[in-house]
Amino acid sequence: MAKPSARIAAVQFGFALGVAAILGRAAQVQIIEGSEWAKEAARKRTERVVLPARRGALYDRNGVPLALTQEFYHVGIAPNELDDVATAFRLLVRNLGVPAAELEREFRARKPWIYLHGPFNATQVQALRPITGVHLDGEFQRFYPSRDLARPIIGGLSPDRPAGAAGLELSLDSLLTGQPGAAVLLKDRAGRRYESPARLLREPVAGNDVTLTLDAELQEIAERGLAEALAAMNAAGGDVVFLDPLTGELLALASQQGSSDEPQRASSFTDPFEPGSTAKLFTAAALLAHHLVDSTEAVSAEHGRWEMPVARNGRTRTITDSHRSDGKLTLAQAIQISSNIVMAKFSSRLQPEQQYETLRDFGFGTPTGAEFPSESRGRLARPDRWQPMYTRASLAMGYEFGVTPVQLAAAYGAIANDGILLAPTLVREVRDPTGRLLYRHVPEPVRRVVSQEIAGRLKDFLRGAVGEGGTGEKAQLVNYTLLGKTGTAVRFEDGHYVRGEYTASFAALFPAEHPQLVVIVKIDNPKGNYYGGLTAAPVTRSMLEQALASQRVAIDRARLAAPDSAAASETAPIPTPAGRPVVALRWPYHPSDSVTSPRPVPDVAGRSVREAALALHRRGFQVGLRGLGRVVRTEPAAGQSAARGSSVIIWAE
Amino acid sequence: MRLKGRHWLTLWLVVFLFVLLAITTRQTAGFRTARHLRDLRDERTALESRRAELERRIRLASSRQVLVPLAERSLGLHQPTDSEFVLFVVPAAAGGKP
Repeated sequence: MAKPSARIAAVQFGFALGVAAILGRAAQVQIIEGSEWAKEAARKRTERVVLPARRGALYDRNGVPLALTQEFYHVGIAPNELDDVATAFRLLVRNLGVPAAELEREFRARKPWIYLHGPFNATQVQALRPITGVHLDGEFQRFYPSRDLARPIIGGLSPDRPAGAAGLELSLDSLLTGQPGAAVLLKDRAGRRYESPARLLREPVAGNDVTLTLDAELQEIAERGLAEALAAMNAAGGDVVFLDPLTGELLALASQQGSSDEPQRASSFTDPFEPGSTAKLFTAAALLAHHLVDSTEAVSAEHGRWEMPVARNGRTRTITDSHRSDGKLTLAQAIQISSNIVMAKFSSRLQPEQQYETLRDFGFGTPTGAEFPSESRGRLARPDRWQPMYTRASLAMGYEFGVTPVQLAAAYGAIANDGILLAPTLVREVRDPTGRLLYRHVPEPVRRVVSQEIAGRLKDFLRGAVGEGGTGEKAQLVNYTLLGKTGTAVRFEDGHYVRGEYTASFAALFPAEHPQLVVIVKIDNPKGNYYGGLTAAPVTRSMLEQALASQRVAIDRARLAAPDSAAASETAPIPTPAGRPVVALRWPYHPSDSVTSPRPVPDVAGRSVREAALALHRRGFQVGLRGLGRVVRTEPAAGQSAARGSSVIIWAE
Repeated sequence: MRLKGRHWLTLWLVVFLFVLLAITTRQTAGFRTARHLRDLRDERTALESRRAELERRIRLASSRQVLVPLAERSLGLHQPTDSEFVLFVVPAAAGGKP
């Protein structure tokens, strides 16, 4: 037996070895492998997550939401975690609307995890949040409060990712998509997450909100009017376009093919059609611009039937008029009764290049540039591909070229706008998530198409076409006058004309003095009466009556009621050199040159709604009301600039 | 009075306990605030969802699709032609008075 001192020394040595081993291991763990262990600990205790950003909303011009992003949830249930199964069961059935029998069957099957896909909105799951054992899996989803309103225009998102797939959702995707954030969450040993405010790495930034030019009320009038007309006429489809000629803003776009229950496409942008007589005006514009016809000159209407020579060998094509005329007709009379024969004869005076150039200037054969992603350019062949002796006459009658309803609306808008073609648009303004204005539309002139004088003469032609004896007589209102032109064209499908099928159309400017609306109505293959004057024209009148009767539609009623008021006199015409200028627009364009020049919104805070509305009307704005009593603020705010004719929303107490 | 070794030890223990207590309290408060914040966010989300749903229902109920047939059927009304309503011109002199 060793001495006690030796035994103590041995024990001390053992302790020393142990301490040295611990210190060595600690040094290994802390110093040599420290960073790896730290990462491992962080991996087990924390989790880096991507915080999705809310997609921006789409509103109509008056703030009606058309597309919103909301959080929706899938629900998972762990039955063994539930404290009170009966209560949880009752809450699940009551709030989620799940059939009780179905859920009971799931519980009885003793599954460890029950999954209810939903998706359920935040209101539905709110009462379930405190229940242990009920797990919510949230995600942002697109929500369209007005359901089918303007859906082909608005489009939708891709089913597998939150990105635009069609319509404005696609073309405005970069504006609407936000920036995702990032965060680190703490986890406990069981894997449960704890949100830690201190570990937010990057806040998600919501997408921008976009206010469209569409007017929800007018859109509904257009959609309902079109659906009723198609049903009444047993027609194959149709389109309606409302456009503000002073700003180029598209106010309503309705399209329907087949039954209204079928999925629809925005055919007003995508499907060109042969416009028929609604295009006669553009050949008339070319004839006037090149001084090839004067107002008193008349040619024979050939009693409604004419064999037009189309080849040197004497071959002819028969041209007929539905409104037979035995005498001679001037250009104005030819437009009034829509004489194909007289227009064909006059068109032979044009060089193909002159006619082509005028049609191109009106915007045909090229996309309008509106923000819709799959806009058609229409069809307009170059003059070197024309049939030398016939295409000019065809174009004068509205055949051999295709236009979209939006192109036609923009072209008629140029006539309404004293000869200046404006780019049509669907976007009115863009605001960031804090409400800061990023963009506001101002009218974008493309070019001067015809002089103001010629535009005035074209309007006179349109006045005749809807006047007594004109083809569009049935569109005329009682108390307000409009300008317009009918069109009836044999349908062109799959490369050939379909005998017995027609496209009826009507183009209108309303009101006749200082037009505020361009209306295009197109009806494909109506049964029974197929003339544009008997089909599309009455539909136009009905829609205008509804728009006038609705207080919410963006029409400046002050100007309608008093067309000669001071407000009207502000729309002084743009001075133009005589004849047909190549470019008469001053460039660079200054908005102050325009009749829609932006102007500051007056400060009406504290005034009564009546006073404020009057002040804003006097400044040329349209007014929307939110509340009654004293005015709190306006949108746009006082001092900010807004285009004349645009809407200012009054927010009152 | 001169502090002895065990007093120093006790003092350091007390300080240590206080520090521990402060850390725990702060962390607990942090978690509680985070939970409260999350609850408020959930409530806001639920309210926004409710508002959107109510707006959708109001929009549907006040749409022409619902109102026009109802007015025609129940009240015997009809869509007015343009000759059945009159737009009044507000005289300029009346502008200053509500």
